[in-house]
Amino acid sequence: MSEAQSELLRGTLDLLILKVVALGPSHGYAIAQRLRQISKDFFQVHQGSLYPALHRLEDRGWLLAEWKESETGREAKFYSLTKKGRKEMDAEVVNWERLCDAVGLVLRAPQKES
Amino acid sequence: MRWIRRLFQKSRAEKELDKELRFHLDRQIADYVAAGLSPEEARRRAQMEFGGVERVKEEVRDTHWETHLDNLFRDFRYALRNLRKDRRFAFIAIFALALGIGASTVVFSVVYDVFFRAFPYKEFNRSVVLELRNLTSTGGWKSRWFFFPEEVKAFREQNHVFEDMIAHAGARVLYDDGKSTRYWSAEVVTTNTFDYLGVAPLLGRTIAQADGRPGAPPVFVMNYRFWQAEFGGDPKVLGTTFVLNGEPTTLVGIMPPRFDAFGESIWLPAGPDLSGHSLRGGAQIVARLKPGISVATAGADLDAIAQGLQKANPDGAYPEKFAIVPENFLDYFLRGFKKALYALLAAVLMLLLIACSNVANLLLARATMREREIALRAALGATRGRLIRQLLAESFVLAVMASGAGCVLAFFGLKMVVALIPAGTLPKETVIQMNEPVLLLALGVTILTTLLCGLAPALHAVGGDLRTRLSGSSKGVGGSFRHGKLRGGLVIGEVALSVVLLIGAGLLMRSFLVLTRVDLGFNPRNVLYFTLDLPPTYNTDVPGSRERKNALTRQLLERMRALPGVTSVSESMQQPPLDYSWSDTIIPGKTHSDRWETGIESVSEGYFQLLGVSLIRGRLISQDDVNAARDVTVVNEAFSRRYFPNEDPIGHKVKLEVLDRAFLDAPHDTYFEIVGIVRDRKTRDFESSMWQNFPQAFIPYSVQGFSWRSFMARTSVNPNSVLKNIPQVVSALDPGVQISASGTLEASLQALYRGPQFELVMVSAFAVIGLLLVVIGIFSVMAYTVSLRTHEIGIRMALGAQQVSVLRLMLLSGFRLVAAGILIGLAASFALTRLLASQISGVSTTDPWTFAAVVTIVVAVGLAACLLPARRAARVDPLIALRYE
Repeated sequence: MSEAQSELLRGTLDLLILKVVALGPSHGYAIAQRLRQISKDFFQVHQGSLYPALHRLEDRGWLLAEWKESETGREAKFYSLTKKGRKEMDAEVVNWERLCDAVGLVLRAPQKES
Repeated sequence: MRWIRRLFQKSRAEKELDKELRFHLDRQIADYVAAGLSPEEARRRAQMEFGGVERVKEEVRDTHWETHLDNLFRDFRYALRNLRKDRRFAFIAIFALALGIGASTVVFSVVYDVFFRAFPYKEFNRSVVLELRNLTSTGGWKSRWFFFPEEVKAFREQNHVFEDMIAHAGARVLYDDGKSTRYWSAEVVTTNTFDYLGVAPLLGRTIAQADGRPGAPPVFVMNYRFWQAEFGGDPKVLGTTFVLNGEPTTLVGIMPPRFDAFGESIWLPAGPDLSGHSLRGGAQIVARLKPGISVATAGADLDAIAQGLQKANPDGAYPEKFAIVPENFLDYFLRGFKKALYALLAAVLMLLLIACSNVANLLLARATMREREIALRAALGATRGRLIRQLLAESFVLAVMASGAGCVLAFFGLKMVVALIPAGTLPKETVIQMNEPVLLLALGVTILTTLLCGLAPALHAVGGDLRTRLSGSSKGVGGSFRHGKLRGGLVIGEVALSVVLLIGAGLLMRSFLVLTRVDLGFNPRNVLYFTLDLPPTYNTDVPGSRERKNALTRQLLERMRALPGVTSVSESMQQPPLDYSWSDTIIPGKTHSDRWETGIESVSEGYFQLLGVSLIRGRLISQDDVNAARDVTVVNEAFSRRYFPNEDPIGHKVKLEVLDRAFLDAPHDTYFEIVGIVRDRKTRDFESSMWQNFPQAFIPYSVQGFSWRSFMARTSVNPNSVLKNIPQVVSALDPGVQISASGTLEASLQALYRGPQFELVMVSAFAVIGLLLVVIGIFSVMAYTVSLRTHEIGIRMALGAQQVSVLRLMLLSGFRLVAAGILIGLAASFALTRLLASQISGVSTTDPWTFAAVVTIVVAVGLAACLLPARRAARVDPLIALRYE
């Protein structure tokens, strides 16, 4: 992952995690995999960022963690979205889209030929 | 409340985290195997991608704040353990810091309490005392601090610079309790005085404006000290009436203990137009400047008013040229002591700097030694923040322990210093105590320094490439020497500061020796003195008072001579070495453009013999001269040198202009014949501690009736034992006469030395402590350098270097720093000791002996501090050194 990507991630990783978890309860490994798949290999989240983020969100009460049996039969820590987390996520998504629109507007502004 | 659970079930939380991360890793491996990699290859790749499991764990832990709390405890526990392990380091660091904190808190406390809280009065920092200075170069008085009612009135009404102004004058009032009478000392004050000072009474009320109106019932206010001494603090005296100067006067208020304005027993209101209890004879003026008005502006404003008064009344109390000089109220009281305080402040700041750089040095050396440990910790997964926190924890523990020790030192140190401050140098109302702002300041400074010193090595230790340090730190000296320069610089700075301190102390000591070992020109041993407090029957305006005074003097001298143990007796105006009566000198046929000042002393015939002042030519004042009140005078060598440089003064006549004052009972317009010349004796005034060789003229006491009478007796036994009998002798002659002051000449000389002595003791103590810290500093840096270069030394010796050359190498490397420090210190001293000029006398501020002595001491001490570690280096066994880690 390049420096630019990691910079981008720092602000948005929380939001991406919330979005992925919103699709259904999953453990850390699955979240990382799914992020990679959905973003077509753009986001390759390192464990050193992922797990601190998961624990941080859990501490804030946006994610709920419980130990459940995983698809392989081994116990894993599954994260699911709480009500509070969903509200935060919705608000963040709106913010994010408005930001994107605004950035897009500026970037697409007609340019004078020089 | 997940964090509570985590805090108490740490092992479970840890286990779960481990399990979670392991699951991740295993799933990754499984996926790689599924993708076709061999199990070994899959594990290797997964682990590489994952990075350090411990590091991820650490970062996850960092998201929980209770982890920080936990880490904090752990850091402090670790810091304590480390300090315990290295007791010598901890002890030295705490010792140095505690001394710095203690000494600076003591001096800051004194300075703060004196400069900002010297008086319990409202805004006293803007108050000034007025002085009228005579600017004429010849003749007349030099200055006066008293002002007449018309001046007070004019200043009050016409000035543009003061918020408010008060006037006050001392008075004696006769208290009649129905059975007997006695004097009370009083201060007559303008009725706005208590408002001006802004202190509430302890009981009753203060003097109000109405008390000064015509026909107002007479009232007074009492000093707490006097109330306790005279009435045992009985509150019932409030509101009762006392007959003062024959007038029933009501006690309306008692002031609180600390309030002691003007130092008298009671306060009386001045009457309307400053008459009544009158300020007619002249009063001191105290005034509060409007904010932003300078002393110079105020002086100019008052000058204009006084010049108006002079024009209206050309024969008034003004010299041809004069200026009114307002002086800051506090400065007026502190005099020379203010500069002494500044010198102490500078000295203690230097000491604090030495202490801080010493600790910085120790911390730097220590951090560099621990570089490998730190690199190892970083490699094992400690984050940067974590490492810095840990190093800071150590500094913090040091700072806190040192602060505690420093506070204890400051507490006892302050008590000692307060006891050392000579009586009379500070206003009576100044209370010196440890106060919070000062303590906080000193603690803040040290804690900040320690943290900064801890931070620098911490940042360095965790920065840079860890791998090179892990592999190469002990044998290669490479990276570690980055701090060499900083440490060297600190040592140089410490030595330089210590040189400045030592030179300051040395100059004070030389000056003190000059002051105390001087040939006084008289022998103060076994001489007692006392001064009479005469009742009003001896006042100059009572007819026949001169005769009564002279008769009393003669009889008293006779009775004293008859006391057992007394060998000789004499009378004079003041006891030597004090000399503050002086006069303009007029010698017929001689003109001069500068002031010709002569000290006057009126003496009995035994004066010179008693003091041991020897006659050079001519004769002394004889008993006949005294009995016949002849107009003769004996002068000293300084007088002869100054006014008769090339001739013999004997037989010439001299007029002492001050005796012409109309209000003095003295021989007006009289020329005294010079009959003898005596050796000089040293004199001094209250203003400065310096000895003077002032021209002096001695006249028989019997020619005048104005002066106070002061007596001396030389004894063959302890003078204090004779002094005990004196009051009886005096009251047997006249029961109304009391003794106002008494003591021995030696004790009064000691008292004069106490001011310079205080400064000397303080600065010397700081200089010695500073030197001690410097020794520790040099020693620890050298010891550290040697341990760092043991390997190198081993190689040198293995290659054939002699012990002597190793010793020289190490000594030189240490001594270079000391030498550089000495040079800088000397240069700084040349620039700085000038500031001490007003404090020292009899020795130049660049006294070569002092400078040389200090250089010798510092060189010797520096060499000694280098020698021990250098010898250890020279004794190194090459075989062990090469293996040395």
